[in-house]
Amino acid sequence: MLRKADNSAVAFVIGALVLFFIGGILTTVVPPLVDASWSKPFENSDPTKGPTGKLKPYTELELQGRAIYVREGCWYCHTQQTRTILADTKRSGWRGVDSPVSTPDEFVYDNPHMFGTKRTGPDLSRVGGKYDEQWHVTHFRNPADLVPGSIMPPFPWIAADPAESKALVAYLQTLGRAKDWRPDGDFEK
Amino acid sequence: MAERTTLADAGEIPVTSTAKYTESVHEDATARAFILSSIGYFFIVGIVALLVAAKFLWPSFLGTIPMLTYGRLRPLHVNGMLFGWLLAADMGLMYYVVPRLCGVKLWSEKFGLATAALWNVIILGAVVSLLMGWNQGFEYGELPFVLDVAVVVAWIMFGTNMFMTVATRKYQQMYVTLWYMMGTVLWTAFVYLTGNFAALLVTGVNQANLNWMYVHNAVGLIFTPIGLAIAYYFIPKTANTPLHSHKLSMVGFWSLAFVYVWTGAHHMLHGPISQWLQTIAIVFSVMLLIPVWAAVYNFFATMRGQWHQMRDNVPIKFLISGVVFYLLTCFQGPMHSLRSVNAIVSKTDWIPGHAHMAVLGAFSFFAIAGCYYVVPRMFKRELYSDALANWSFWLFLIGGLGFFVTLWLGGFWQGWQWNNPSIPFIDTVVNLQPVWLVRFFSGVLMFGGIAAFAYNILATAIGAGGEKATDGAAVAA
Repeated sequence: MLRKADNSAVAFVIGALVLFFIGGILTTVVPPLVDASWSKPFENSDPTKGPTGKLKPYTELELQGRAIYVREGCWYCHTQQTRTILADTKRSGWRGVDSPVSTPDEFVYDNPHMFGTKRTGPDLSRVGGKYDEQWHVTHFRNPADLVPGSIMPPFPWIAADPAESKALVAYLQTLGRAKDWRPDGDFEK
Repeated sequence: MAERTTLADAGEIPVTSTAKYTESVHEDATARAFILSSIGYFFIVGIVALLVAAKFLWPSFLGTIPMLTYGRLRPLHVNGMLFGWLLAADMGLMYYVVPRLCGVKLWSEKFGLATAALWNVIILGAVVSLLMGWNQGFEYGELPFVLDVAVVVAWIMFGTNMFMTVATRKYQQMYVTLWYMMGTVLWTAFVYLTGNFAALLVTGVNQANLNWMYVHNAVGLIFTPIGLAIAYYFIPKTANTPLHSHKLSMVGFWSLAFVYVWTGAHHMLHGPISQWLQTIAIVFSVMLLIPVWAAVYNFFATMRGQWHQMRDNVPIKFLISGVVFYLLTCFQGPMHSLRSVNAIVSKTDWIPGHAHMAVLGAFSFFAIAGCYYVVPRMFKRELYSDALANWSFWLFLIGGLGFFVTLWLGGFWQGWQWNNPSIPFIDTVVNLQPVWLVRFFSGVLMFGGIAAFAYNILATAIGAGGEKATDGAAVAA
């Protein structure tokens, strides 16, 4: 029986696909059905349950900025996830306040997702509101001017194009802002 | 001894035979087209790889031209190496191997040549669109939608040719290479559709989950099975010795078929994705040791009594080093997926070290060995230079080891620094400069290996060494 199946291409195809689909379906189709936070936008008004706030859809301008972020491959070096690691919450924090960890419901409007796999530059999941527009545009022109030692490449064509730099900064300022985690609301524009 | 009969290919001449190469009944037109073009991309994309490595040291180098910034060249490097070189070379080797294992001619050489032409159009389209920044924003899934569709068409054409050849086979028993090849064709179809089509329909974490399922299985269910198909054919073939165990190869195959697909979420450990899914991914990642060790044991046991061939048989050198790198990279993988280790190495430079050992150290080494074996036979003349082939091996090995080892050490150190928040982030960047310097020069060595390999193959293909050898007995490689 086994030897016969071993010589049969049809038995092979069926076996290979059945084994593949067991794992495939249980890890891709089932999880979003089980875990509602994957598709329900973040909203919390009860401070006892953690940071309050509401995830808003991107505006047209922010989407334009996001497209630039995708086009230039910013996501190859910058992750967007504050992981459940103490150091991540410290590094994503600001002025002594630790950042909350990223949760699936903060990313419902992200398409394509920008979680990233490689952290050559700092994580950007909570960068929104940390630096003002002037800082960002100067930084795009030549990052090492503001951060000595930085190996981020210069993007002079973005800095020189007011429409592009405005859109990109508008997008960056949204990052991590769904959760209202900074005590005095000291966000830059 | 069943294995020995399965390797007695129709029209194929054993390495030690004194018969003439010209006796082969196979046309190999498709295999030639795929293999030669893939080696061309290996060389060109190798230059891109050096530019990318250089930008870590001199960030403004070529930096004022949008097309040549890091963010555009990196996806060109990754896609070019994966699809332009490795997958195309693997497909070319399958066009050579499968008809021989089936004892028949390839189902259709014309259809195969059309597939090769379409594949080249896709790669050229990919070069243009990635340089222009037409990037979909998914890792390994950067190519625009039109090209995704073309890839699916080309893959169906490849699969049709392969399955029709298997369906018309003369040998009833299917050698393990055929199993892995067929598995690759089937799984790749679904893995690719998940990552490039289904992922477009959803957003956020759901999309990331599909993306990682694709990214992980692009390696696990495309490059791993097709790479193992090649290793299972060429290790016994180049060493001229039977495979140790058909049964053990089946254990490896079916455990790989079951285990691999579950592990995608280990790319998001500690990240914003359900904890239970992370745990499943960890458990199955550790189980990956089963298919890996089954295959590696089989390869080593096949070499029993044949180790002296490591001295002067260049394809064997590549194959056995590839097996060692495969064993190491697939030991790292399960270890990274443990939460405590992941907290240190995830997102660091360790990961490119790990990824390069899999794709370059293991699977590209297998493909290179296959090319060195089949190209002289396809063009019916001796390899241009055995000495140059040996040089290419040592350049790849030393460059590769330099690359892997420095990135592991550097990445581990980087992870420790990140986990100490009192160190400013920029200091962790500056501290890595020496690591990136060694990486760049290791890359130069590896590029030397690519150049030696490509030149040797090209010279063999055009007959630069003259027609001195149609006599198979002279060929040791």
